[in-house]
Amino acid sequence: MSYLDIIEQHIAAFPEMPSLSQSLLGYLDDPDVDFIVIQDLVQYDPGLTANVLRLANSVYFGGAGTVGSLQQALVRLGTKRILELVLSLTVSPRLVPNLPGYGLQARELLRHSTWTGLAARELARLLSIPHEDTVFTVGLLHDLGVIVLDPFVQEARIDFNESFERGHGSFEAFEKEILGISHAEAGARILENWHLSPEIVAGARWHHEPDQATAFGEIINLVHLADMLSISQGVGTGIYGLAHEVFSESVRAVGLRKKHLEYTASKTLDRMRELDAIFS
Amino acid sequence: MSLVVVDIADMRISDNPGDTLVTYSLGSCLGVSIYDPVIRVGGMIHCMLPLSKVDKEKSRLRPYMFVDTGMQEMLGQLYEAGMRKARAVVNVAGGSQVLDSQGVFKIGERNFTVLRKILWKNGLLMNVQEVGGNKSRTISLDIATGRFSIKSGGKLVHYELP
Ligand SMILES: [Fe+2]
Repeated sequence: MSYLDIIEQHIAAFPEMPSLSQSLLGYLDDPDVDFIVIQDLVQYDPGLTANVLRLANSVYFGGAGTVGSLQQALVRLGTKRILELVLSLTVSPRLVPNLPGYGLQARELLRHSTWTGLAARELARLLSIPHEDTVFTVGLLHDLGVIVLDPFVQEARIDFNESFERGHGSFEAFEKEILGISHAEAGARILENWHLSPEIVAGARWHHEPDQATAFGEIINLVHLADMLSISQGVGTGIYGLAHEVFSESVRAVGLRKKHLEYTASKTLDRMRELDAIFS
Repeated sequence: MSLVVVDIADMRISDNPGDTLVTYSLGSCLGVSIYDPVIRVGGMIHCMLPLSKVDKEKSRLRPYMFVDTGMQEMLGQLYEAGMRKARAVVNVAGGSQVLDSQGVFKIGERNFTVLRKILWKNGLLMNVQEVGGNKSRTISLDIATGRFSIKSGGKLVHYELP
C-alpha cells in the first residue's frame, strides 16, 4: 500500500468531533437560534461552562471579570462567538500532542493554531475585512491535518531531508510529492467529515495555496497571511524552519503593509498566552 | 547547572556561574547575548520587532519586545552590573524570513538593521553573527565560560570566547 492509501484510512478513522460541539455547530449558520437552546446544551457540561466563562472574562474578549453566568456570556458576546468558543475548547485538546515528524513539541501546534487565529482576527479588524469571527475558527483548525501526517513525515524522513537539501520548494510541495497529499488537504477532509461549513473547510484546504481557491478568498488570504506571520515569528516552525512561501497576491488583495504585520505581532503574543492558559 | 529560559519578548541577566541562558525558536526574531568575561556577567534578549513606535502601549508594558527599547534597557542594566564596553562580547542570531518576494514579511531584516545601528551608536562590535536565511535557531550562553551555542536544523555549533 502507498503512503496515500494508509493516510486515507487514517483520515477516515480520525475521531469524530465531540457530540456536544456537533449539535451546537448545527446552529452556527442559524442567526435566529434562541440562546436558551444553546444555554441548555452547554450548561449540561460543567467543565465546559466554566471554561466558556473564563474565556468570556479574559482580557482579550473584553470581559475583564464581569461575566458571571452563561446567560450573561451569551448576551455579551453573542451566540455566534459563544459557539466558536465552544468549538475552540473542544478541539484544542486534539492539538496538544508532541509531533516528532514535524519537530513540534507538545502544545506547540496548539500555540501556533491559536496564534494564527488571533492574528487573522486582528488583521481582519485592521484591514476592515469582515469575517473576524470565522477567521479565528479557521486559524484554530487550519493545521489539523498535521496530526494525521506526522507519523508519515517521520517515517519518510530521509526523503524529506533529501528534498530540502536539493533546495527549492516548500514543505507542502514535498508532502504532496512524497506522501501524495498535503497536511492542508488532509485537514480539510477531516473538517468535511465533521460537517463544518464550506468556508472553514476551504480555509484549511488552501491556507498554503490561496491562489487555488475559487471562493472565500478574503478568509483564505487572511488565514494564509496570519499563518505566515506566526511561522515567521517562530511560533510552530518545527524542523524545516521558515521554508514557506508567502503568496504575493494575498498581500496585494488585502492591502497588507508592514505596519499591519508588526502591530498584529505585537498584540498577538499576550493574547495567545492568555488563551493558552485556558485551553488544555 | 540551571537553565534560565528567556521567553519571547523578554530579557535575562545572570552572574551565576551555574546558569545557562537559553532562548528557543528564533525565526525573524533576534536573539542577542552580551557577555563580560572579566566579571562573568551575561545577558540575553529575544526581540520580536524592530521599532517600539509601532505599538507605544506595548513598548511600555514589554520593552524587550522591540529591538530599540529592548537593547537600550539591556545595555543599561549590564553597564549597571559592571560590564565594560571594551570587554563586551556580543553574539547575534535569528533574523530569518519566510519566502516573500514583496518584502512586507522581511521583519528579520528590519530587526537586524535596527540592531546594527544601535550597536554602532554604542561602539559595540559583533562577535558571532548568524543571521538571515530561512532557518529557526535556538541559542544559549553559558555564564561560567561565556560559551555561546546555536542549534539549528538538528545541528549544534559552539563558539568559545574570542
Ligand atoms: Fe499549514
